[in-house]
Amino acid sequence: MNNLQPTCDPRHIEGCLNDSLSDEERSAFEAHLEVCPACRAALELSAGQPDDWQRIRTFLSSDPALPLHGAQLHRAHSGSLSSGEVGHNRADLHSTDSEAVEDAQREAVDSVLSHLAPTDDPRMLGRLGGYEIAGVVGRGGMGVVLKALDPALNRYVAIKVLAPQLATSGAARQRFAREARAAASVVHENVVAIHGVADSGPLPYFVMPYLRGSSLQKRLDAHGPLGTSEILRVAVQIAAGLSAAHAQGLVHRDIKPANIMLEDGVERLKITDFGLARAADDASLTRTGIIAGTPQFMSPEQARGELVDSRSDLFSLGSVMYAMCTGRLPFRAETSYGTLQRICDAQPQSISEINPEIPSWLVAVIGQLHEKNPDARFQTAQEVTHLLEQCLAHLRQPDVVPLPAAVINLIEQSKRTPTRRAAGHYAFHLRRAASFLLSDRIRAVSVATATCAAVAFVTAIAIRWWPSTETAVSPAAPSSVANTPGSAATVPEYADEPINRQPGSAGPFRPIFVTPSAIWNDDGIASELNQLQSDISRLESRLEDHPPTPEKTRQERKP
Amino acid sequence: MSPSPETRPSLLIRLSDRSDQAAWQEFASIYTPVIYRLALRKGLQHADAEDLSQQVLSAIAKAIDRWQTDPARAKFRTWLHRVAQNQIINALTRAAPDRAVGGSTVMSNLNEHSARMPDSDLIRLELRREVFRWAANRIRHEFRSVTWNAFWLTAVENATIEDAVQRLGLSSGAVYAARSRIMRRLKEKVCEFDDGESELPS
Repeated sequence: MNNLQPTCDPRHIEGCLNDSLSDEERSAFEAHLEVCPACRAALELSAGQPDDWQRIRTFLSSDPALPLHGAQLHRAHSGSLSSGEVGHNRADLHSTDSEAVEDAQREAVDSVLSHLAPTDDPRMLGRLGGYEIAGVVGRGGMGVVLKALDPALNRYVAIKVLAPQLATSGAARQRFAREARAAASVVHENVVAIHGVADSGPLPYFVMPYLRGSSLQKRLDAHGPLGTSEILRVAVQIAAGLSAAHAQGLVHRDIKPANIMLEDGVERLKITDFGLARAADDASLTRTGIIAGTPQFMSPEQARGELVDSRSDLFSLGSVMYAMCTGRLPFRAETSYGTLQRICDAQPQSISEINPEIPSWLVAVIGQLHEKNPDARFQTAQEVTHLLEQCLAHLRQPDVVPLPAAVINLIEQSKRTPTRRAAGHYAFHLRRAASFLLSDRIRAVSVATATCAAVAFVTAIAIRWWPSTETAVSPAAPSSVANTPGSAATVPEYADEPINRQPGSAGPFRPIFVTPSAIWNDDGIASELNQLQSDISRLESRLEDHPPTPEKTRQERKP
Repeated sequence: MSPSPETRPSLLIRLSDRSDQAAWQEFASIYTPVIYRLALRKGLQHADAEDLSQQVLSAIAKAIDRWQTDPARAKFRTWLHRVAQNQIINALTRAAPDRAVGGSTVMSNLNEHSARMPDSDLIRLELRREVFRWAANRIRHEFRSVTWNAFWLTAVENATIEDAVQRLGLSSGAVYAARSRIMRRLKEKVCEFDDGESELPS
């Protein structure tokens, strides 16, 4: 038999066992194994003696602690896993991102449970340290939350366990313990207390009070947007908790509805998971290169991987408030990468459009929290707490308590902001259109003209609406833009710039959103603008098939 | 490549270095369930069994502290095994058998049977089992789950190769390769415990 197989090579057997074969060699060897019983036997023999094979069967078979992964088997069944062992391409990773996360979480639960010491209490799952584990109440990117009974004090506690696959890295364990200790030093009614930290042993964990109730995330999923006063009460408490933590120099980094625990029946909440995002980042980045957790509530500076400070939490607070107002995520995209990009570049859809019941001052406050530039946001959580408390008082007794002056200022600004946003919105699409055109000039000429007209129009709007702002909108810029199709890509530069309206400048004022007809009453211009908008949507529909050109290419092509 | 003892001392040898906390953690994580299960077999209650495993471990730790460094490394392993074994047997024979009287005759027969079994063999068997579980748990994350499942189905659960091929969507060659690779790695890991010096019965 052997001599019929020219590829019988004992070195391949050793290489296969050491995992030192190249991919081609390995697939060749695997194909060879299928037809060559001699090599199969040799392989199994050099992997282990017959009684080795017998031994693992006897020692491991009765062990329920290492079951098969149901999910994996299922996935293999449905054929989305290729038969090749090595198929790791980018597209693969993208399409299976969420599945991979699901699997990892399930795996984490399994492996945490398998690490529990046995218990003789039939109602319990096992023991961890001195605690009797009663069940699994949650799982996340970095670990598993267990409900446990503390027999010494006869009370229930929640135990957050670092997932065993993350606990293999010493750095991650240390950081986990350090952050948990830092979080334990924050004592505030809106921050979950930490009873204890254990960082030795196979499963590092920390112990928190067990809260009856659900997370804000579950509340939003089940009941949709909240009422205005509820939103304010929740936001005030989040801000208060944040301000206590920030006073200690602790940044949360992962403020999101799932980390806000609402207590049962009463409107009191606690923020959980302080600083753990950083520990998770450490651990999972070194392991898989996949971003831990959900990026939807990140701040732009976080999304860009820059240094974050306490103001990053305020942006996330803005996103949470947005979610409470609308029941939707402020920044959504199909992939994590897309979401990160939107966080950095795009404005969320206007809250008033989605939920008209939200008062404009609250929209303005959220807008201020959502400023991309940290310097333009509120600067401290304390400031936000104070402001929101006043707003809440105003909401309860509108006749007695006026809106705080800072909020009134914001409303003044926000009257301008939607216009600016509208311009930004157009600019965003124009930028996409322009990049598309630049990357594909052949069929672009006619459309380019339309685009340029649109560019000129947005500029015209800007000029007409801010007649006295030479600094922000230079009349020279738009004309040059209109003349050279290639430079359409320069539009966003001024559209993104702050436009300061001089006090007392002329011009009719009303809140304006993205529909052009709302901007202009003037019929002639309105119809023209409508035409333009339909052009843009046509462009957009064609754009769906074309991914935006990367930033770099665009700049290179700029004349 | 199996890490040679020179570059990677076995867990048991690392224990002789008293500052090696990680080695002790691993050692304790293997021995605790062994002692616990043995104690349960003896009819001890859960809490007593836990206490007992703590006692035994602290006795072993103290014994290691008393160990004088000796150039002959193999002796440390042998010695440690003996210490552990003696401590367990001592503790188990000393511990008051707190087992419930009554119940089914089957149960008491079983208890008697386990009591008749020579303790040292039982200890070795339980230890062996635990070392394999420990090793499997530790190496599992080094492999993709299809690979692991191919190994688990065919080598442990005794499924046929065809069955595994069908359930996992791998080629049979890949299944053969996968399970042998893991077998090799598992053996290496088990050797990390005690260099495969057959203190443990097969």
